[in-house]
Amino acid sequence: MTYLIRGKVALLLKIIIVGLASAILLMLAQSAFAQREYVISAFLALTILALALTYLTKISIPLKFFIPGILLLIAFVIGPILYTVAMSGFNYKTGNIISKEEAIVQVKIRGIEADPAGTSFDIKLGTYDGKEAILISDIANLKYFISTADSRISVAANDVTLNEYGVAITAPNFTTLTDAQMASADKSYTKIKFQYEGEYFIALEGFDAGIVTRQVLEYLPATDEFRNLVNGSIYRDNGRGNYALVDDKTAILEPGWRAPIWFENYSKIITDPRVREPLVRVFIWTVAFALLTVLTTFALGLLLALALNRPIFGRRIYRSILVLPYAMPSVMSILIWGGMFNTEFGAINTLFGSDIAWFSDPNFARVAVILVNLWLGFPYFYLISSGSLQAIPSELLEAAAIDGANPRQIFRKVTLPLLLQILSPLLIASFAFNFNNFNLIYLLTGGGPRNELDGEIAGATDILISYTYKIAFGTGTQDLGLASAISLIIFVLVASISLYSLKKSKVLETFG
Amino acid sequence: MKTWLKHDSWRHIIAIFVCLFALFPLYLVVISSFASSGSLQLTSFIPREISFKNYQLLFNDPTIPYLSWVQNSLIIAGSVAVLSVIIGSASAFAFSRLKFKGRKQGIQLLLLVQMFPAILAISAVYVIMERVYSFAPSIGLGTRAGLLLVYLGGAMGVNIWLLKGFVDSIPSELDEAAKIDGASEVQTFWLIFVPLAAPVLAVVSLLSFIGTFNEFILARLFLVDMESRTVAVGLQQFIGGQYSQNWGPFAAGSILASIPIVIIFLSLQKYIVSGLTAGSVKG
Repeated sequence: MTYLIRGKVALLLKIIIVGLASAILLMLAQSAFAQREYVISAFLALTILALALTYLTKISIPLKFFIPGILLLIAFVIGPILYTVAMSGFNYKTGNIISKEEAIVQVKIRGIEADPAGTSFDIKLGTYDGKEAILISDIANLKYFISTADSRISVAANDVTLNEYGVAITAPNFTTLTDAQMASADKSYTKIKFQYEGEYFIALEGFDAGIVTRQVLEYLPATDEFRNLVNGSIYRDNGRGNYALVDDKTAILEPGWRAPIWFENYSKIITDPRVREPLVRVFIWTVAFALLTVLTTFALGLLLALALNRPIFGRRIYRSILVLPYAMPSVMSILIWGGMFNTEFGAINTLFGSDIAWFSDPNFARVAVILVNLWLGFPYFYLISSGSLQAIPSELLEAAAIDGANPRQIFRKVTLPLLLQILSPLLIASFAFNFNNFNLIYLLTGGGPRNELDGEIAGATDILISYTYKIAFGTGTQDLGLASAISLIIFVLVASISLYSLKKSKVLETFG
Repeated sequence: MKTWLKHDSWRHIIAIFVCLFALFPLYLVVISSFASSGSLQLTSFIPREISFKNYQLLFNDPTIPYLSWVQNSLIIAGSVAVLSVIIGSASAFAFSRLKFKGRKQGIQLLLLVQMFPAILAISAVYVIMERVYSFAPSIGLGTRAGLLLVYLGGAMGVNIWLLKGFVDSIPSELDEAAKIDGASEVQTFWLIFVPLAAPVLAVVSLLSFIGTFNEFILARLFLVDMESRTVAVGLQQFIGGQYSQNWGPFAAGSILASIPIVIIFLSLQKYIVSGLTAGSVKG
C-alpha cells in the first residue's frame, strides 16, 4: 500500500494521472476557445496550470488536498453564484435574452413590410451565373423574371417552360435546385433580398412563394439608431435593453437585449406593487410554513420520544416502523401523498367520507402541505429527541422528583428547557431547510391553487423558492433578472438564520 | 399486568396511532402496486386481487426503460457518493489539520457558500452547462456526465463542511505521532486518517447517495432523453399528466426503487442519526 504513496511508482503514477487530466482539459479548453466561450476556456486553462503546479512541484502541501474540491466548488457553485449576482443587475427576461449585436440583426430582419397591395409571386429556387437566384412567375400578367441579390432580368414568355399551374420551372441560364440542395438552402436563401423594383425586394415565404417587401427600419451604426425609412422617426437605445421611439418611450422595437439596469430589479421589489404584493404574501406564508412545520414535526417527534423513552414491549418494532417515512425516498412519498389528496379518487377523502377539493382551496391546500411535511419530518425529530432525552443526566430528574415535583412539572421545568437548549441549533437548521423546501411544494401542489384570472403566478402554497423558480422558468414571461435578485435576498435571509444558529451551537460546544 | 396497563398503555396508544399514520401511505402504495386498476384508490383495506401486471409492465414494456432509469440513478448517486467523499475528505483534512495562510478565511467562505441553496443558482448552472454543451456535447446539458459534475460540485460545500466537523473530533495524537515518525502529510492522510475515519466517511457518502437519489429538479431539467432519466424523474412522468395518472406502474416502480434505500437506512440507522445531529438535515 505504501508504495502507492511514496517512491518511484507513485511518482510515475502521479505524472500519468496529472498528464491525462491535463490532456483532457486542454482538449476541452481548445474547443471552448474555438466556440468563443472565452471565460470557460480561461478557467480550464487555469485549471491545468493549477493542477500541474500543485502536483508536480512542492509549491504547497495544503493545496494538494484542496485543489480538486476547490476547483469543483468554483466551477459549479461559486461560478453560478457570481453569475446569479451578475444576472440580478440586468434586464434579463423574455424579450431581452440575446446580446445587443444579435438584437440589432433581429430588428433589421423584422423591420420590413409588404407593399400596400400585398403582391406575392410563385417562385422557384435556383442559381443564375453561379449565384443564388429565384425564378419569379407573375402568372396574372404572364411575366417572368430571374432575380438575384443585385439584379433582375426579365425573361421572355416563350423562353420558359411552365408546369400545370402556369409557374415557370426552367429558364435559360437558370439551374433549378435539386431536392437535396433544397434541404440545405434554407439558411442562405431566406437571408437574401432578391431585387424587385426600387426599394422593394422579394422576401421568401417558404420555398414556393415570394412577397414583395421593403425595408422599413434602417440601422445607423454611427449614431446607434434605427430610422423608420417611411416616416423618418428615430428609435434610440433607451438604456434598458430596447430601441425606443424618441418621442414615445413606450414604443419599443422587438426584440430587446439583456442590458445592465444595476439595482432596478432590487428596487422594483420595494417600489412596484405588482412585484411587491405577491412577494410579501409569499414571504409570510413561507415563514408560517417553515415555523408550523418545525413546530408540528418537533411536537410529534418529542411526544413519541417521550412515549418510547422506557423499554416497553415492542419498542424496537415501533421504532423501525416510525422511521420508515424518513427512510423512504422523499420524492416518491411526496408524489404518493399528492395522489392521496385527490378529490375524487384520493384515499383521504375515501377514508373520512369527505368530499374536499384539497388542492383547489387555499386553506385546505395549506393544511395538506403541512400534514405531508409532518409525515416526512416527524421521524427526524423523534430520532434526535430520543437521543437527547438520554443525554439529560438522570440525577437532575431524580433531584426534581425528590424535591416534590410531579412528572408534568419535571417535564415542563427541567426536561423541556434542557431539550430545547440542546436541540435549538437543529430546530433552526430545520427551519432554514424548510424555508427552501422546494421539492415538497413543487411536487405536491405546484404552489397552487392560484388565481389564474388576474394573471398572478404566485399560488397560495408557493414558498419563496418555488415562486422564484416560477418567475425564472414559468410559462409566461420569464424574468431571470428579477428571479436572481430574489434568489440573493433569500440567500441573505437563510445565511443569517444559519449563522445565528451556528453561533448558538458554538456556545453549546463550550457548555457541553 | 395491571400496573403495566396503567403505566404504559398511553405509550402504546400513541405509538400505535402514529405507526398507523406512518404506514398508511406505504400500505396504500403496496396494494396499488398489486392492483390492476391503475389508480391509487382505497376501495378496500384488504386487497381483493394480487396482480403482477404493473411489475411486468416495468420490465417488459419497451417504452418504459425502468431498468436504465434505476441504473442511471445508481450510477449517478453512487459516483457522487464515492467521489464527493474522497475529494471532500481531502479538503476537510487540510482545513482541519494543516496550517496555512488564509485558512480561517477559507473556512468562513466555505461556510457561506454551503448555505447557498443550490436551487437558486439553477438558472446560472443551466446557462453554463448549455454553453459547455456547445463545445463538449458529451459533458454538457442533457448528459448524465454533466449532471454528475453539477451534483459533485454542489455536494462539495456541504460535504467538506460536514466532514471537517468529523475530522475535528478525531483526536490529533495519532496523526501527530505519525508525523514524528516521519510520515508526510499525504501518508498521514491515506494511512492514518482514512482508516480511522472510515465509518464516518461511509455515513457521509451514504447521506450523499440518498440526497442525490432524491434530487428531482436538476435531473428533470438536465435529462430530457427517456433513456437517460433517473428513477425519480422517470416515475414522476407516470403521474405528472393531469388527466393521465397511471398509479400502478408508479407504485410498483417506487417500491422497487425504495427497498434498497430503506434497507440501507434501517441497518445503518444508528450511524446516520449521529451524522444528522452533527448538523445535516436530510434533503
